[in-house]
Amino acid sequence: MDPTTAMYVSQGIHGLAYGMILFLVASGVSLIIGMMHIFNLAHAGFFMLSAYFTYQFVAWTGNFWLALLLAPIATGFCGMLMERFLLRPLRGSGVIGDLILTVGVALCIDALVKVIWGTANKPLSKPPLLQGMVHFAGLDYPYYRLFVIGLAVVVLLIMALLLYKTRIGKIVRAAVSDNDMVNALGINIPLLFTFVFGVGIWLAGVAGAAIAPILSVFPGLALQMGMDAFIVVAVAGFGSLRGAFMVSILFGLMNSYGVQFISQLAPLSMFIFMAIVMIFFPHGFFGESEEE
Amino acid sequence: MNILETKGLFHDYSGLEVLFDVNLQIEEGERHAIIGPNGAGKTTLFNTITGTCCPSRGKVFFKGKEITGYPPYKLTRLGMGRSFQLTSTFDRLVTFQNVRLAVLSKRGIRFNLFKKVDKMTDVNLETLEIIKRINLDQEILVPASLLSYGKHRSLEISMALATNPDLILLDEPTAGMSRDETHTAVEMIKRLTAGKTVVVIEHDMDVVFSLADRITVLHYGKILATGAPDEIRNNQAVKDAYLGESENGGITTRHSA
Amino acid sequence: MKKAIKWILWIILGIGLILIPKIFGIYYTNFFVSLAIMAVFSQSINIELGYTRILNFGHAMFFGMGGYGAAQALALIPGMPILGAVLCGMLGGGLLALVLSPLVVRVSGMACAMLHVAFNALFFMLAMKLRPLTGGEDGISGFPIPPFNIPGIISIDMTNPLNFYYFAVAVLGISMWLMWYFTKTPFGQIMIGIRDNPKRVNYLGFKVPESRALVYIVGGSFAGVSGSMYALFQNLFSSDATSGLNSFQPVLMTMVGGIGTFIGPIIGSAFFSVVEELARRYTERVELVMGLTLIIVILFAPMGFMGLYRDLKARWGKAPSLPKI
Ligand SMILES: Nc1ncnc2c1ncn2[C@@H]1O[C@H](COP(=O)(O)OP(=O)(O)OP(=O)(O)O)[C@@H](O)[C@H]1O
Ligand SMILES: [Mg+2]
Repeated sequence: MDPTTAMYVSQGIHGLAYGMILFLVASGVSLIIGMMHIFNLAHAGFFMLSAYFTYQFVAWTGNFWLALLLAPIATGFCGMLMERFLLRPLRGSGVIGDLILTVGVALCIDALVKVIWGTANKPLSKPPLLQGMVHFAGLDYPYYRLFVIGLAVVVLLIMALLLYKTRIGKIVRAAVSDNDMVNALGINIPLLFTFVFGVGIWLAGVAGAAIAPILSVFPGLALQMGMDAFIVVAVAGFGSLRGAFMVSILFGLMNSYGVQFISQLAPLSMFIFMAIVMIFFPHGFFGESEEE
Repeated sequence: MNILETKGLFHDYSGLEVLFDVNLQIEEGERHAIIGPNGAGKTTLFNTITGTCCPSRGKVFFKGKEITGYPPYKLTRLGMGRSFQLTSTFDRLVTFQNVRLAVLSKRGIRFNLFKKVDKMTDVNLETLEIIKRINLDQEILVPASLLSYGKHRSLEISMALATNPDLILLDEPTAGMSRDETHTAVEMIKRLTAGKTVVVIEHDMDVVFSLADRITVLHYGKILATGAPDEIRNNQAVKDAYLGESENGGITTRHSA
Repeated sequence: MKKAIKWILWIILGIGLILIPKIFGIYYTNFFVSLAIMAVFSQSINIELGYTRILNFGHAMFFGMGGYGAAQALALIPGMPILGAVLCGMLGGGLLALVLSPLVVRVSGMACAMLHVAFNALFFMLAMKLRPLTGGEDGISGFPIPPFNIPGIISIDMTNPLNFYYFAVAVLGISMWLMWYFTKTPFGQIMIGIRDNPKRVNYLGFKVPESRALVYIVGGSFAGVSGSMYALFQNLFSSDATSGLNSFQPVLMTMVGGIGTFIGPIIGSAFFSVVEELARRYTERVELVMGLTLIIVILFAPMGFMGLYRDLKARWGKAPSLPKI
């Protein structure tokens, strides 16, 4: 196959992998907004925290797979702690209070990461099994990125099963569309919230662990991912997982092809795109307008 | 002359048809009650008239002028006032400030940036007067959200009246009130709306018959009958509709049920 | 009697402000100027956010317009008076608000917040990329700081920190007073009405979008004033000051002090500046200290210090407690 096509395909894989990672983060944000009406500005902070956890677990055990399993769980647990001890006492004090609190947590995570791991880049090598390329139909595909895509798909399938096939999934979906009703049904909402928040953070954790070997781990990770995830959620609309998926993939692709053709403008184009979308669809493509 | 008229009004909430071909005529100076079971579309009718939402078809005329789809603030300036079924006041403001906003609007004081509102003596005096008339002078500095239910409803009604409208639409003014409170509220409404046109949605038949000159019955979004209280009482279609429903364990009226 | 006490307090405040440089020395005088700039900046967002509930989380744009406006006016136009530069900044902020207002006043709630974060990010990008206009990350610096001139009477050198302090106190004090007056006019009542219940405001006969636009423009203008004062004070204005982070700062200060109260942003700015100064001086971890402070304050006083004060007063039976915003 000619080199141009090869380039397109490889860029496509890059974009897809990034899109999937983005979706893992954005879906957590979206889930939490839909369910708890909290815009969690610390979300990307947890994503970064998980990347650092992964680095640390690998440093201790040398086993990437173990780290991939444990880091997101540890991160999710931190998230649940935050929900239980910080967000819950604040329940009912309004959007702005939640916002301030999550900013506070984001600042703390940022600072703590710097205190514990310093500001230098922490490189993490891909596990030996996933180094190198696959050859297929005359093209090379990087193993690891394919793995990331696969991992995200698996996580997605698990989430879909959870949401659509289990009792708790039904409750969560009901709560996203109508909080009061679920409340009236006598379900332990605070516990449910802690759980959902934990799952949302866990998703970000998976993304953080998976991305650690691709990007090296550094303190700016949160800001970078936070901005992109924010754009996705804003463009897709709150609480819309389907929307978040489509927009994430679109953005992943836009990003990688954009860098190819308009490298100067690539980061700007995302914002311009968002601004335009928000002008015409203030509630995002797939969001419903919330009544205040 | 008809002060308010709707011609062939239809409305649906994203597919759910709520109003069908509603033709309502309100004469100047009359007190008109709209009754009907829960979910009949009474509030929706008010919403389409007062500009909360646009009717999907049909026209609304006010004082002979077509006003279909006018936003609420325009209608208020033309002389229409409305109270809500669910009390809708400024919760963090005290009674006085709530009423004063209505008074400011009535006097056309909107973008005035050169005088302190506390120094506008006549505005404040008028506000005080209104508050006295609705018997809230004990609660003058209580935030609206802390008023007792009955007082809160009085405040709601008085804010619809304080802009001095020619046509007043009251959505279940006595909903949820005790017998005594209802009685006081009805007296207050009668007193404050003397000489004006009033359209009132009401479930309490005692209130309806003591207040209304004419009654319109709305049933599943259609007007079943319009006429004087006695006509309505004896109207076969109305009887059938109400009886039919109460046999199925449905609704009669809130208080008599 | 009460009036007399009020006047005495004002006079004490005035004398205090005049004496600050004498008592605290020039380092803390400058600290006070930056605090006052933040206080005006916070107040301008409080008017939007706290009084009217316009969720503007991109206020650094207006601050930026003010800063760039003043800096460019001084850099490009010879003989620009210092007050003219401040006015340019004010116009810059107000103009941007005017341009954006048709868009933002019709969306409310979270969508409005998002829209602002988006615009702010765009603005920040532009500030970094449009080097000829903004100087990018290095910013515009070295523009002349003209003396304060009243022709024929006096000419005061503004590069002298002491003189600049008095100038800043005057400009920022007047801005503060204007905003305070703004909230006391009938329109101020309408603003609060819009915050609590826009539907009712509409039904009372006021135009909600237009009113929101006016508040937005006023807020933007005063953010412009604070931005221009910041540029004059630093003799530098760079893209950093327009970042999203700088939009959150005044919101945080307002929250901490007590949103929707006039005194709140002032207390909040003072508290923040002092904590930040202490953290910078005694620890290496400013961010951590700030983050923890925020969390603690919000947990113990969700409505800020003024909210706490109110709750305490309510507990002692002096005033009714109000529902939270
Ligand atoms: N915003 C809305 N969106 C969708 N459906 C609505 C909405 N508001 C009302 N409805 C539906 O429209 C129908 C008519 O409602 P409406 O409130 O007009 O009735 P009503 O006659 O005022 O009843 P009530 O006596 O209970 O006040 C009801 O079936 C209601 O569920
Ligand atoms: Mg109703």
